[in-house]
Amino acid sequence: MATTTAPAPSTLGARPRRARRAPGHSSLFTALPWLAPALLLIFGVVLYPAGYMVYTSFRKFNRIGVERGGAGFDNYQQALDYPGVNIGRVFLNTFIWVAVVTVVSIVISLFLAQFLNKQFRGRKLVRLAVVVPWAASVVMTTSIFFYGLNPDYGIINRFLVDVGILDSPYGFTKSAVPAFITAMVVAIFVSLPFTTYTILSGLQGVPDDVVEAAYVDGASAWQRYTKVILPMLRPAISIATLIMIINVFNSLPILQILVEAPGYDADITTTLIFKYKTVLGPGVASALSVVNFLVVMTVIAVYLAVLRPTKDR
Amino acid sequence: MTDSSPFRRRGRFGPARWAALSLAGALLLSACGGDDEGDSGSDGAAQPAASAGADLSTTIKILAPSYTDTSQADWQKVITGFNGKYPNVKVELQIEAWDGFTEKVQARIQGQDAPDILNDNNFADYANSDILYPIDEVMSPETLQSIEPALLKNGVGEDGTQWAAPDIASARLLAYNTDLFEQAGISAAPKTWDELLDAATKISKLGGGVYGYGMPLGQEEAQVEASLWVWGNGGDWVSGSDLTVASEQNVAAFEEMKKFIDAKATQPNPGASNRQAVADLFNQGKLGMYVSHPGLLAETRSKFPNVKFEVAPMPTKDGSASANLGVTDFIEAFDNGDEDRKAATKAFLDYLYTPEVYGPWAEGTGLLPVTSAAIQEKSASDTNNKPFYDVLSSVRFLPQGNPNWTALQNALQQNAGSIATQSAQEVLSGIEEQANAGG
Repeated sequence: MATTTAPAPSTLGARPRRARRAPGHSSLFTALPWLAPALLLIFGVVLYPAGYMVYTSFRKFNRIGVERGGAGFDNYQQALDYPGVNIGRVFLNTFIWVAVVTVVSIVISLFLAQFLNKQFRGRKLVRLAVVVPWAASVVMTTSIFFYGLNPDYGIINRFLVDVGILDSPYGFTKSAVPAFITAMVVAIFVSLPFTTYTILSGLQGVPDDVVEAAYVDGASAWQRYTKVILPMLRPAISIATLIMIINVFNSLPILQILVEAPGYDADITTTLIFKYKTVLGPGVASALSVVNFLVVMTVIAVYLAVLRPTKDR
Repeated sequence: MTDSSPFRRRGRFGPARWAALSLAGALLLSACGGDDEGDSGSDGAAQPAASAGADLSTTIKILAPSYTDTSQADWQKVITGFNGKYPNVKVELQIEAWDGFTEKVQARIQGQDAPDILNDNNFADYANSDILYPIDEVMSPETLQSIEPALLKNGVGEDGTQWAAPDIASARLLAYNTDLFEQAGISAAPKTWDELLDAATKISKLGGGVYGYGMPLGQEEAQVEASLWVWGNGGDWVSGSDLTVASEQNVAAFEEMKKFIDAKATQPNPGASNRQAVADLFNQGKLGMYVSHPGLLAETRSKFPNVKFEVAPMPTKDGSASANLGVTDFIEAFDNGDEDRKAATKAFLDYLYTPEVYGPWAEGTGLLPVTSAAIQEKSASDTNNKPFYDVLSSVRFLPQGNPNWTALQNALQQNAGSIATQSAQEVLSGIEEQANAGG
């Protein structure tokens, strides 16, 4: 994969004379008109807001957002040590949330992709059906689960009682642990299309002749899968995992909509940031955002360093 | 405010519309500023009689919550009438759902676009940030005097300044389903906690998904339900500017609430139930009692005529203390540093509170009016809400003027529901600590 990326300055190589006259500046100057829109966009929607967030995290604000001078590290201290919030539990929740949603989504997707890669009648329709949860807005999907799980009128609760799985309707979203588990199930549900399709595209890149060769050599189906196909899926799985980690880590709407429980036992850092924003103002919320950002950067750095997913073999 | 819950509407103005509005506002504002210099001299001299109104040329902005479906139209009617007198004052109206209303106000303030007139349920945070006009600077003394003194007092900040003026009021009383009372063999409305527990347990035992007492400790308004119990035990949240959240009486009150939950005399999961959810149960005839307000009960009357109910005061520990809770919403005026806008704001607010204008506007909210004249008139004609008018002069208010109140309210909304799984002492100490830290 990495070898296919063309070296960026190759277009300039076609004009050696100008490049020789003023090597550094001119080439940058020539490239600028093409780079400018992207650079502006990156500066405007990534760098500037991120920088402003860091700045805000060191300013003192009251709850409604009126600035009251510098704050030093007070915001960070308050974000990590706010009475009533067990910050350790929140970080643990965040870890469980990311790990479970990512791993379970990928494992289920491996099965689903294998199935969707087979030839059968109506495959297009089935593939389409798998995309639908992705096409629907997360807020909408989550709201449907939220109302469906309501113990008084929810259709899912009603179904579970009618088929005899539950004796009486259960408040899935009403207390911390069940609500958290429910949110993970919904998160996996909405993540499946993305991971399935990434792996499916990887599967389609596995050449038939390699699999056939393994077959001829007498490898069993399981051996063919684990020894031949899975290693060739590595780039697809790595990309899916990386994007999932970032996405799930920063995911807000599912927990925000589903969890009705009091307290902070079903919070991850992202939802806590939102609670802080209302209760403690933008300073403390920004401080926790910065911490959140550092944590996700660390997780990704560790992931890249340990697994080296971009290496071809 | 909490009272609006039955009328929750998703915001009708999406971000795009909002952006367009503010842009239009900015353009208009600069246009009007230009006109102003040319106009004021000549016009005023030519028409001295109409000068007061026609002279004023500016734009003011109103941010108000949606009480009912008609809120937008009700405000618009006031604005149209106002423009008849002040044709050159452009009034921009933004109506938002109560759900997340505070965030909308915060966003406007942080975007340097504070509304000139805000209709909200708290003011202490804004007053403490020095961004409000004292309300007597933007309302004439006559207007302020027309408001019922007991209610007007609620808009006084801790520093003694009248920062806000109430615009509508409401009270909370215990609504009980008389059919369920009959089935459970209860003859009279409970007056003490023991009678309440007894009645609630009996009704819960009827079975079939019927519960005795609706206890909404969810995030929407745990502060109201918690206050009813704390006051019923002679406790309070604050003493002066100190918080007394974890006081002995308060802990005992929370223990009593826990007793109700443990005895299964309440609906399931009280910590995750909002008042609307409890009201829904009541409207389906599946709840014996809950603390309600005129807006919710009007809905029950009109849409669920099969539910027969009566209204009684909130029971207290031994029946002696009064735990009838009152709520007012407020008009507040932000200081945008512009004398013309201030003058227009004053003109608008004085117009809003004139009896012919205020009466229909207040009626549109479905709640109770605040001017003495309107209360007198309505308490005679509005028989459905008579019990509420009767207690309106003696209700206790949440300490909305106290600078610690918002932090305490946030802490209560987030944590009071934990009472189902934790001890009363633990919950209240946690809330007090959090409220003290949340500055």
